[in-house]
Amino acid sequence: MKVRLYTTPFCKFCKDVKALFETHNISYEEVDVVVDDKAREQMVKDSGQMGVPVIDIDGEILVGYNRKKLEKALKVA
Amino acid sequence: MYQLIIIGGGPAGVSAGVYAARKKMKTLLIAEEFGGQSSVSDDIENWIGVQNVSGYDLSKMMEDHLRKYEGDIDIKDGEKVLRVEKIKENHYKVITAGGEEFETERILLTAGSHRRRVDVPGGEEFDGKGVAYCATCDAPLFKGKETAVIGGGNSGLEAVIDLLEYASKIYLLHRRDTLKGDPATQEKIKASDKVEIIYNAEIKEIFGDKFVKGLKYVDIPSGEEKTLDVEGIFVEIGSIPNSHLVEGLVDINNWKKVVVNHKTQRTSDPGIWAAGDVSDVYYNQNNVSAGDGIKAVLNIHDDITGQKRE
Repeated sequence: MKVRLYTTPFCKFCKDVKALFETHNISYEEVDVVVDDKAREQMVKDSGQMGVPVIDIDGEILVGYNRKKLEKALKVA
Repeated sequence: MYQLIIIGGGPAGVSAGVYAARKKMKTLLIAEEFGGQSSVSDDIENWIGVQNVSGYDLSKMMEDHLRKYEGDIDIKDGEKVLRVEKIKENHYKVITAGGEEFETERILLTAGSHRRRVDVPGGEEFDGKGVAYCATCDAPLFKGKETAVIGGGNSGLEAVIDLLEYASKIYLLHRRDTLKGDPATQEKIKASDKVEIIYNAEIKEIFGDKFVKGLKYVDIPSGEEKTLDVEGIFVEIGSIPNSHLVEGLVDINNWKKVVVNHKTQRTSDPGIWAAGDVSDVYYNQNNVSAGDGIKAVLNIHDDITGQKRE
């Protein structure tokens, strides 16, 4: 499973997502969209919106921190 | 059956939970999440005993403190309460969104409040597409863009501060002719030439195509409609107490706050207490909410043990 997490530095919900990944030992790639302009454009294009966190799980795009939806998408529920 | 169900995991609920556990009351705490509204704050400088802490870390500290007492208190987190039903005196049923039901003799409502959303055409349509409710999270996405903040209270001023580093221009729109937020923060934003404060402005419409392109507002004194071309709109127009959970059971004031006796936090129903932002307290502060949550639990303990204070 390939997991990509788009974040900004002070975003509480991004930290919630990371804590959830750690609880379930999910390895992921974190992209800080403040420093990475290209990734920011990609995130907006893929998610059709302008908020973080955005989580890309094998191409499935989730927006925001929703524990139940995330656990389902990660198949750890 | 529980002696007490606490609804909410902010500073009022968690403080109450710690005290209830230490008093060995048979208690369940149900929380959607921990930490309350300030959990999204990047820096809290007034939580007493801690000079600086992020909202995220403070939430974790609260959750960890409460979990230390797991066993003495039952905790159900990640769960939303839909409503409270009264079966008879000192017998209530709490129903969750997940379809579970719990019975209890007493209720302590510390459910806080939820953010008021911008109620104009385009407000919902462009939610997440330029309309944003978390400046600490999303301000960096508006690097080099013109933006607007709606609301001149503390949260509005803080949203402007969050945007200062990134946006090329920030219009701060406020309904009244003076800002409400702290003078210290006002000074900071007024010192920046990126910030333009527009007073007496009433938002009428948010427009765009796939994403926000601007907003229309009315200049209240002249009645003239004006347009701002902005790509980001941060909404900070206050919050609405989550008193709907006990609607019909207790007195609720015109601002949807649960009316309490401020010596005891007890509501008009003798089996229901309320504390924190959901109650008709004047000051929505973490420290105040924590104190009021504790006051409520001590009074609930008095009620259980038959202790009379007056």
